[in-house]
Amino acid sequence: MPRNVAVEAEDLIRRFNSFTAVDRLSFRVDEGEVFGFLGPNGAGKTTTVRMLACLLSPSEGSCKIGGYDVSREPLKVREIVGLLTENPSLYEKLTAYENMDFFAEAYGLTDLQEKKSRIAELLEFFDLWERRNDKAGTFSKGMKQKLAIARALVHRPPVILLDEPTSGLDPESARSIRDLIKKLSSQDRSTILLCTHRLEDAEKLCSRVMIVNQGRSIIVGSITDLANRMGGQKVLLVTLKDTSLKTVEAVGSLPHVKEVVQASPNQLTITVDDFDSVTPLVVKSIVESGGMILTVNPLIPSLEDAYLKLIKEAKH
Amino acid sequence: MRFDKALLIFRKDWREIRRNWQVIGPMIVVPLLLSVMLPVLIGLVPSFTSTQNSSTRDLESVLRGLPNNIREEVSGLSGQEIVFYIMISYFFAPFFLIIPVMASTVIASDSFAGEKERRTIEALLASPISDGELLLGKILVSFIPSMFVTFGSFIVYSTVVISTSAYVFGALVMPPLAVWIPMIFGLTPVLSLTAIGLTVIISSRVKGFREAQQISGLLLIPIIILVLGQVSGALILGPLIVGLLILVFAAIDLAVFVIGVRLFRREEILSKLA
Ligand SMILES: Nc1ncnc2c1ncn2[C@@H]1O[C@H](COP(=O)(O)OP(=O)(O)O)[C@@H](O)[C@H]1O
Ligand SMILES: [Mg+2]
Repeated sequence: MPRNVAVEAEDLIRRFNSFTAVDRLSFRVDEGEVFGFLGPNGAGKTTTVRMLACLLSPSEGSCKIGGYDVSREPLKVREIVGLLTENPSLYEKLTAYENMDFFAEAYGLTDLQEKKSRIAELLEFFDLWERRNDKAGTFSKGMKQKLAIARALVHRPPVILLDEPTSGLDPESARSIRDLIKKLSSQDRSTILLCTHRLEDAEKLCSRVMIVNQGRSIIVGSITDLANRMGGQKVLLVTLKDTSLKTVEAVGSLPHVKEVVQASPNQLTITVDDFDSVTPLVVKSIVESGGMILTVNPLIPSLEDAYLKLIKEAKH
Repeated sequence: MRFDKALLIFRKDWREIRRNWQVIGPMIVVPLLLSVMLPVLIGLVPSFTSTQNSSTRDLESVLRGLPNNIREEVSGLSGQEIVFYIMISYFFAPFFLIIPVMASTVIASDSFAGEKERRTIEALLASPISDGELLLGKILVSFIPSMFVTFGSFIVYSTVVISTSAYVFGALVMPPLAVWIPMIFGLTPVLSLTAIGLTVIISSRVKGFREAQQISGLLLIPIIILVLGQVSGALILGPLIVGLLILVFAAIDLAVFVIGVRLFRREEILSKLA
């Protein structure tokens, strides 16, 4: 079943003076998909989201949301997009209800009954109904974040942009936000584009992820896809009574051993092609070169390691 | 342009401003000081000092500097009454130009630069409200309360002047309406719009509302010159000058708003946040 494309960016570039914050990003997000935008701070995620939400004009390239071009039909785009901004961007002197009420009308919910019931529905969904008459300024970080997400959803937008929904939250609040996002995507089948620097968010929520760094796309794919493609490095961690140069050289000269690094005076990290076939050979060669082995541990690389490494590599 | 969306912005901003003492405070205190304290002080203080003859000599030199029409207005009044009349009619008039400028600058800088500073502007700009609606709503919320405060102060001032004169002189002294009516209902609106327009322009350049407020406060300088001009007798706010000022500021308003609207480009506002 072919799906419609909800978001389509082509060679998006945004410069600030001579600095290029977003450098030729192209991607497509299908309808109903949760697409992750993963990258460290300063990668250009917020800048990209701002271009998608018509808050910044692209320096070059184009972008369409629901078929509308952000540069040519910004009002149309704004109508169908729900945006969680990086800062909650709430009116702190207004109550939770007044915040919702203002944005409901700004987004065109003018029917009084419909507006009221939508706001009540959202505030209840986000556990804020009891606090609806309290000023947003009195809320905790987690509550502000929930209110900001509720605001982004008030007009039932088919496309939702979430910029760092869990950042700055304690693990428990972060988890409750993640659960809410999951519920959203399964209930409403909305298209969600989620920016995060937390791999955990991407792993738990996204069907596909694009890793960005310094404004450039490094890799795009599903989580398992990425784990397979990036997590290629298999490492044996060997602890010895003490290490000698002879041992390092002996192991290094073995076939299927890619790299030997003396991580500490009595530890070697050995990068190998395959654990099953190479581990016995490595052990044998260490023993033969006079090394006294204490432990041997195969390290299966996590996606996290691979991600961190990828980010580090991209810096050079 | 959907007027109901501009009104929506107006209502939201007004609700915020109403709860913000940094904005409401000066809007209440300054007008009260000017409209109550000034006439009361001038009415009461000379009655303590009237025995000193130095004040009569000052009075004569002031009188000599006055244009003929004012000298006609005060003919038949006693010495103290003359001082009182000239003070409340002419010397204090420019102070009433400070009220609309101050009020609209304080609100407009909170509404434009303040919303930027508090980072609430981002969600607002993401909503499907057009630039024109946004701008109109924010101009209205700066303009309407300022006019309320200005007209209100004028009513309070007139009442205080009349009651003070009745109390001190046993006679009614009123500011000349031929000057005050066009000044309050003609000049203050155009002046207020200039202040708002300038604040919009400045807010698009600066980060915080305090900076915006201070820079827009520069508009007070010509008014202070006007005050000094009055006091020195070099320039008297007559109906003609008020009429002229209305025209001049209306022209400035046009220019300022053309520039302001051009500078208000939502796609660039966020690029200047960092
Ligand atoms: N308005 C701006 N002016 C100048 N530089 C900016 C501006 N906004 C973002 N940048 C720069 O662009 C880069 C990307 O920022 P951002 O999009 O916020 O990254 P992320 O959201 O991935 O952390 C950063 O180096 C940031 O300093
Ligand atoms: Mg960011």
